[in-house]
Amino acid sequence: MAWLDEILSRLVEHPVCGYRPGSTPAAEPTTIAALALVAHGRMPPVDKALDWLVPQQSVIGSVGVYERDSTPGWATSFAVLLWTRTNTRGRHQARIDHGVTWLLGSRGTTMEEESKDLGHNPRLVGWPWASGTHSWLEPTAYALLALKAAGLSDHPRAREAVKLLLDRQLPAGGFNYGNTIVLGQELKPHVQPTGVALVALADEAGIRDRVGRSLDYLRAEVNVGTTSSSLAWALLGLGGYGALPSGHKSWLEAATNRTLAHDASPYKLGLLALADRAGDQPLLKRNAPAAN
Amino acid sequence: MSIADSPELVTTTPSKAGGIDRRTLMISGLTAAGLLGASTVRQMLRRRAAVFIAKGQKYNEHLVTTIRDGLVASGLVPKAVAGKKVLLKPNLVEPSRAVPHMTTHPAMIVAAAEVFRGWGAHVTVGEGPGHVRDTDMALAESGVGAALDAAKLPFADLNYDEVVWTANRGQACQLQGFFFPKTVVEADILVSLPKMKTHHWVGVTASMKNLYGTIPGIKYGWPKNVLHHNGIPETVFDINASLPKTIAIVDGIDCMEGDGPIMGTLKHMGLVLVGVNPPAVDATVCRLMQLDPAHVPYLRLAADKLGPIEDGLIEQRGEAWRPLASPFQILDKPHLNKLRPNGALVS
Repeated sequence: MAWLDEILSRLVEHPVCGYRPGSTPAAEPTTIAALALVAHGRMPPVDKALDWLVPQQSVIGSVGVYERDSTPGWATSFAVLLWTRTNTRGRHQARIDHGVTWLLGSRGTTMEEESKDLGHNPRLVGWPWASGTHSWLEPTAYALLALKAAGLSDHPRAREAVKLLLDRQLPAGGFNYGNTIVLGQELKPHVQPTGVALVALADEAGIRDRVGRSLDYLRAEVNVGTTSSSLAWALLGLGGYGALPSGHKSWLEAATNRTLAHDASPYKLGLLALADRAGDQPLLKRNAPAAN
Repeated sequence: MSIADSPELVTTTPSKAGGIDRRTLMISGLTAAGLLGASTVRQMLRRRAAVFIAKGQKYNEHLVTTIRDGLVASGLVPKAVAGKKVLLKPNLVEPSRAVPHMTTHPAMIVAAAEVFRGWGAHVTVGEGPGHVRDTDMALAESGVGAALDAAKLPFADLNYDEVVWTANRGQACQLQGFFFPKTVVEADILVSLPKMKTHHWVGVTASMKNLYGTIPGIKYGWPKNVLHHNGIPETVFDINASLPKTIAIVDGIDCMEGDGPIMGTLKHMGLVLVGVNPPAVDATVCRLMQLDPAHVPYLRLAADKLGPIEDGLIEQRGEAWRPLASPFQILDKPHLNKLRPNGALVS
């Protein structure tokens, strides 16, 4: 597939990357690119990403969003995901442990009482985007994926994260950034966070019936015109439930071509390459693959 | 300090009261002679601003002329704009094809760009949607992406831009400063291009609240919850105080009432507002909605610090606001009830 080869060759050439070509390296695009390379068996360039990632981890275990940036630490989850996927002979174990320690110490703020203005349960603890703020959907899902990758699926924080994600599911199906009902009105779902939440929940026992409406929402919304990061997360989400739409590879190709013609974002390209392996649930794997 | 205080960019900040301007007051000796009372003098010395209103506007007609006339009427000096970096900041908080009245219409953005380009400025459009990580999706759903492509206008994704630490010049909230996108900090003129909407927490959102979209999600999240935790009115004020090179062009054609800024309903007004002082513009937006700007908390904070909000201190250019005012529904919530001086019109 020429479009995939084009992405992988770009990621191999620049495994340490930012949100735009040539911009300041950032933890999320670099780890996504590396996870995509791992998923496609292109291991050697991943070491460059891993080398870059080492000094990004702060003394308290967190990984900031930009190079030499200590806060906010939500990108720590992506670093833990990459380290666990490449933890051959335990070479990253200390970093994983350090990152997990930071994640377990990071908590979204709660409200003591349920608010009549809000539809969700504000007492559930997940993860915030920035310290001192409420738990939101995507950082909670990322942290849940990281804990699962680190073998902590049964940790109380992981179990509460599952509860929180399900609590933030919209009654009509789908997820958004993390609000369900505000001042009496049910809010609208978005494709990307729906995909993110479904990925993180995909290996939960008996989950399919509980997220059925969200799967229906995604299947109805995603098509050849869906924008890159939304499409990638949607397919990663659907892939976890064996619900990938036929023709999705051509959608990835179309999205790749649009991205290359528009901003050539390494972050979006990395996500698209990762989504090419959606059926393998690449974000729920724990074992390091053999190097080739 | 605001852009209205930049004589190279803005010709005349209206400062006349009763035919006497500030300079005259200071040197004429009227005060020393005791001919004017102290309170009268204080009133005369307060900052004034002009706000331009155009009525009967449509998205497919004459917007370039309207915006150009409005900017000139507001005091902007076209010659001074040549060579300047102008950043147009629309409101694309959570776009949906089904709710076009939630977001700034693409035609407004393209028309504003055409005006500034015609004056020789380097124009970029930038936004950091508050509820959507996939900015491409926001651009697609709002129709803005296609419009920018057609007009060959560059777009800066403010959620993922490089960031620059800037001191908090307002100091109403506890934050010592803000990470702003480099594109915002480097702009010579920031044009807030909001949609005229009610807001279910603070009553009204227009040019000042729209600047939440200059805060990068990459550092503050989706939603930008750091701001909420530090107080919406306080952070709106502080962000505006920290970005003083801001002017306003308001899409008041198809507006939103009721449960804004996302879930409200369409209200057609057919208006475009322009001004070089955002608090004055937003106070006029409130009056057009028949809401009391003195009860919009961030406008109360901004009053006389960032600009005037009293009707008597705002010089209307173009149309007068009173004949155009039409009540906007607001939610029947205790925190919003004071907004409507003459009783609640609720949804």
